[in-house]
Amino acid sequence: MAHVWGDVMAVLPVTETEFPLVFSEVVEPSVLAMLELSRKELYSSFSSYCIEKAQVIIDYSWEKLNTGTWRDVDKEWRRVYSYGCLFKAVGTCHGEASQDKVQAAIKTCDMGLLMGASIMDNVLQRLIGVLKNKVKIPSKVEDSEQPYPKKLRKEFILKPIINPALSVQRVRCPALESFRSEFLEPKMPVILEGTIEHWPAFREHTWSIEYLRAVAGCRTVPVELGSRYTDEEWSQKLLTVNEFIDRYIMGQGEAATGYLAQHQLFDQVPELKEDIRIPDYCCLGEGDEDDITINAWIGPGGTISPLHQDPEQNFLAQVVGRKYIRLYSPEEREKLYPHQSELLHNTSQVDVENPDVVQFPDFLKASYQECVLEPGEVLFIPKQHWHYVRSLELSFSVSFWWS
Amino acid sequence: MSVNWFGFGFNGFGQIDPQRKDEQKDIRVLRPVVLDSLCTCAQTFSRTGLSPEQKTEIQKVVASWSRSAVIHISGGELRGVCVHGAESGVLVSESEGCEDALLTESFLTLRFTHTVKCWSLHRNSRELVWSEELNTTEKTGNALQLPLVPGGYIGSKPPFFRPLSPHLQAVSLALGTEHAVLLTASGTVYTWGHGSHGQLGHGTLVSGDEPRAVEALWGVPMKSVAAGGWHSACISAGGDLYVWGWNESGQIGLPSKGLREESQREEESIEKDKLKGNTSDVFISIQAFPALVDVSEASEINKVSCGSRHTAAITSTGDLYTWGWGLYGQLGHGSRCSSDEPKIVDFFSDGRMSVEDVVCGLWNTFVSAVPRDRVPS
Repeated sequence: MAHVWGDVMAVLPVTETEFPLVFSEVVEPSVLAMLELSRKELYSSFSSYCIEKAQVIIDYSWEKLNTGTWRDVDKEWRRVYSYGCLFKAVGTCHGEASQDKVQAAIKTCDMGLLMGASIMDNVLQRLIGVLKNKVKIPSKVEDSEQPYPKKLRKEFILKPIINPALSVQRVRCPALESFRSEFLEPKMPVILEGTIEHWPAFREHTWSIEYLRAVAGCRTVPVELGSRYTDEEWSQKLLTVNEFIDRYIMGQGEAATGYLAQHQLFDQVPELKEDIRIPDYCCLGEGDEDDITINAWIGPGGTISPLHQDPEQNFLAQVVGRKYIRLYSPEEREKLYPHQSELLHNTSQVDVENPDVVQFPDFLKASYQECVLEPGEVLFIPKQHWHYVRSLELSFSVSFWWS
Repeated sequence: MSVNWFGFGFNGFGQIDPQRKDEQKDIRVLRPVVLDSLCTCAQTFSRTGLSPEQKTEIQKVVASWSRSAVIHISGGELRGVCVHGAESGVLVSESEGCEDALLTESFLTLRFTHTVKCWSLHRNSRELVWSEELNTTEKTGNALQLPLVPGGYIGSKPPFFRPLSPHLQAVSLALGTEHAVLLTASGTVYTWGHGSHGQLGHGTLVSGDEPRAVEALWGVPMKSVAAGGWHSACISAGGDLYVWGWNESGQIGLPSKGLREESQREEESIEKDKLKGNTSDVFISIQAFPALVDVSEASEINKVSCGSRHTAAITSTGDLYTWGWGLYGQLGHGSRCSSDEPKIVDFFSDGRMSVEDVVCGLWNTFVSAVPRDRVPS
């Protein structure tokens, strides 16, 4: 592991004077002084000392990130947070960098990517690129000694019976213009067939648990715990992809359902972005390609997204496993009993597959469409269409929000 | 009576112990150290000709994240403020005669008999940015402590003066990071500002711009209020302590899940299975209504102060208890551990000292104490 330090420093500017620390006046002089001190130590023989200063920078900017509402936090504080993570991660690799230290440094970089802002030509991403190659991948022999069972977590999964009269229409590779006139403009949900099978995710990089471990096993991601986000017990936790797979997909006796949901994993792990393609139909929108939000949804069978609506058009691409989906048009809103609170007013109070008809009598009168989305299919969910999603088995999906 | 001021916690800028500033490891002071002996203010006062013979004493300490400011009394009347920490400098000439001080990361506010003045704190200079004559004809006059001034209060950024309705009859005001807790003459507590972490105590996470009475405390007159980063505290006339807001590091004094998971992780690594702090299975993340916190069964609470994520309280028996975030030593327990349970700071109790005052900085704590044998029992 002697090469870790040298390879890590190679990611940074050669000298201290070439290392930029420029912020707007929102960042107080005292904070800037701490950043400069940390930088100085990084380039001195005391590199390991910079961890403490880096932690101070992380803790102070973390408090700023938690002050006021997230969208109002000045981006400068997210940059400061990223610098703190950079200094801490580099400092962690000083001297004899053990496997644990390399893993800890990757986690620190991921925290910067998750909560910070991009700095120095995406240096955190570049640093992870270097560190990832230093993580020892368990050999085959060790693999068989892994404590977790090789079987997937078994869940009792209710298989839905689709009423053909209500099922969502399927179309094979429609032309752009016909998609626009027949579905986009009339705001009609539709399942598109044959539009994503060319993705590397179905071919040379076939998505699987093993592939996810290989590409992103050591990466830290936010995981939702609890079967649905409206539950009292619902919470979020930061775990590595390997921990998530061991605990919630391979099943090591965790009672709760874990769901890697609505996470921009493709920005965090560029290798995975290579495996997917933005659907051509998105060009019918008004926004730039950069404005498209791409989220990963990875979880075992039994994950549930309660009935809700989103403010953008959505292509939900199914790569692994099947999902049961129920759709209600925006006109049905009154019968869906949205939550009163500001935070959840886009979410229905009704448990779609087991509705309380006494409390929500009009729900059964609401008309809907339904489907089981199969691997290789893409569901178009028009803007503001209410949708309920339940995975029927291990599932990898990708959603594209566009306008 | 010999009063000593002590400090502990974050010392990244030498704001508690300037001597340690350049030593690489000491960005934390884990156990209380005396401010007096380390502070060079006394010499500075003699150099400038201010009462060279007389011993200067500390009247009050205030702190921001990177600095502390000490108000000195000399010969019982001359006063001056000395600033320690980031780009420290001593404000001798300008601060002469000042009675009270308020310190934030960007501004130093001093109150004199007839005026209030605000300086912005730049890297190598300070600049007088605001000054106003005080309307001291009002009855409340100089009895008010900063941030309160006659007719209103001094906020943390421009415009510095913010009016308060005279109907509130404010006697005390505590400013948190983004919320305010006010005490009226009749003992009612009002709050306003950001409410996302329950820090307003109204049972919701809603923010409010106008002062609103904390209804849950109605009928229980209060005598003191405090505000931290995302939490608030008050003491009833009978000496009960109420705390509410974010319990992220156990600063409310109720079981904190994050803290428990952290201590479990550490215990796994050092192979110990002793659990610190509360042992309940019910965790509190946000306490949106005031909660009665049992600090010490035997005694009442006299004073309370809140840091960004920790809380410190003094009992009527002169003991100091701290809880919440402890990573920088701000709890004074000699470790970096956080605690979601009030714990006595044994430095003072073992040292036969009675704690008289406590002021929390964001990540540190300052207290004054006297030897116990001099306290009439």
